[in-house]
Amino acid sequence: MAVNRNVVDRALAVLRTLPRVSLYNLKDHEHRKKRSARGQHGGGTHGHGKKFRQNYLPLGFESGNTPFHLRFGMEKYYKRYRLEREYPPVSLLMLQKMIDTNRLDTTQPIDLSSICNSGVYSMNINFNHHGVNLTDEEGFDQFCAKINIEVQWASEGAIAAIERNGGVITTSYYDPLCLHAVTDPARFFLKGDPIPKRMIPPEDAIEYYSSADNRGYLADPEKVSLARLALAQKYGYELPKIEDDPDYTMLTMRKDPRQIFYGLEPGWVVSLKDKAILKPKDKELLEYYRT
Amino acid sequence: MMQNISKLFRNCGHRFLLPKFPMSTLESIESNPLDSELVPPSSSLAKSLNFKRKLESMPPNMEPKQAWLENLNTTDEEKISILELHPQVFGSMPRIDVIHKNVRWQTFYGRMDLHQAASRAELPGGGRKPWPQKGLGRARHGSNRSPLFYNGGKSHGPRAPKSYFYMLPYDLRILGLTTTLSVKLAQDDLHIVESLDIPTDDQQYIEELVQTRMWGPSVLFVDEQDVMPENITKATENIGHFNLMPAYGLNVFSMLKHDTLVLTLAALNRIEHQLLLNIHRNKNGKHQFRYMPSHH
Repeated sequence: MAVNRNVVDRALAVLRTLPRVSLYNLKDHEHRKKRSARGQHGGGTHGHGKKFRQNYLPLGFESGNTPFHLRFGMEKYYKRYRLEREYPPVSLLMLQKMIDTNRLDTTQPIDLSSICNSGVYSMNINFNHHGVNLTDEEGFDQFCAKINIEVQWASEGAIAAIERNGGVITTSYYDPLCLHAVTDPARFFLKGDPIPKRMIPPEDAIEYYSSADNRGYLADPEKVSLARLALAQKYGYELPKIEDDPDYTMLTMRKDPRQIFYGLEPGWVVSLKDKAILKPKDKELLEYYRT
Repeated sequence: MMQNISKLFRNCGHRFLLPKFPMSTLESIESNPLDSELVPPSSSLAKSLNFKRKLESMPPNMEPKQAWLENLNTTDEEKISILELHPQVFGSMPRIDVIHKNVRWQTFYGRMDLHQAASRAELPGGGRKPWPQKGLGRARHGSNRSPLFYNGGKSHGPRAPKSYFYMLPYDLRILGLTTTLSVKLAQDDLHIVESLDIPTDDQQYIEELVQTRMWGPSVLFVDEQDVMPENITKATENIGHFNLMPAYGLNVFSMLKHDTLVLTLAALNRIEHQLLLNIHRNKNGKHQFRYMPSHH
């Protein structure tokens, strides 16, 4: 709670001179709204007075014969709202803060699991939230971490800021079933279900995730390296060489398009209690989970 | 496979990570009073010692609060050493409204209103039309138990049982505890003692102790465990306004009901630890901290 410590100390000092706080001198804030009078004796005009301005209709009164719902045409502001995917944003500044406060480990690849486990970011799958939207509106100039990050949506500026610092960014899609596992792995593993296979993006998203400009996870890697160069020229920075980087293996770690956790494959069952991993042997299962 | 497991725990292990504050502001600690093996120093020994406490997750911009560590083995007050108290527990803003909300919640959530007024259906009789509909010049009535009648039923009267149960938000309950502890400390109504061991089980001893130290009149003694020392149990048994309470039962209402609050060192450690844990715990999206009434 951000309170001025001087104010708190002064308040506590004042309290020393006041009578003892007990059950008999407590008082709540006066925030109760007065309910307008009802019934036979108290009711009546409800604040409209007597006999004056009687030509004005009370606010909200519906006159005429056409009902309200037929008088105006329908305007569907939220027509496709339930169907549209949402990506709650994380700004570059927030990402930098999460790194500075040790909530994210930059020596390992950062993905949706680690961002959710930081505890600062929250998303609700029931509201069609599909992951992180990395924005560059705040912290474009301040961002200075070299990371390998996987987000679900990224602006061009955010991609430039990550790559300017020698980092790698990928945008990848998780279907809602996978999102349950990715956003809270501990809860998912306690269920004892096999790790689901990641589905391909829906029709309206497949273009985004296979585009090199968006660093999509389905894009051609060669086109991605060209796009990295093009973006560096557009924003006017020199692209650091990842091949010469000491963290080369970390920076080039990528998930398989069917995989949702680093180091774990779809179809495996993780037992937190026994600290063991069970792998399928059945041919049909192997065929199903094959990437 | 071991490699896989280590990666797995990396992915799911950060949930209860506390934000790391720079600990350089703290002095070096010789002893950790949270250890159960470490007994607080006896009064004779501890006079020379400055009994230090380790304050966990201490924010860098705050200064610790201070209180005396006192004894109970003599009726006269003996100050053993100065203790440092965590400012987030013992120096929070004295929000009287938050204390009020807590007290109101504590008095209301167990209340069951059994007031009931009989409706016209529950009263005997009233089935006969009291007088004919027409011809008498009187108002028409169909039942002498109608709500209009004297001795009639009550319409929209109180119906039992009525529950006043509600749950105060979790953070407000935590804030209520820290606020009340801060208020008690600020008003010199909080005393910290080594332990609740007193030399005799005499009632007069504890009465004299409270009187000479200008405590009370009502005093709440809080120890860590619910098994209290025998002497103080016997000494306070017949005094209604001296009460013993374990640390896990500490609540806003009882603290305010008693004028003076006496904590043992072990209880202090326990209370401070639990409250800090709940202040700093990452509650983001965690539903177990919220009261969710079941749907009927």
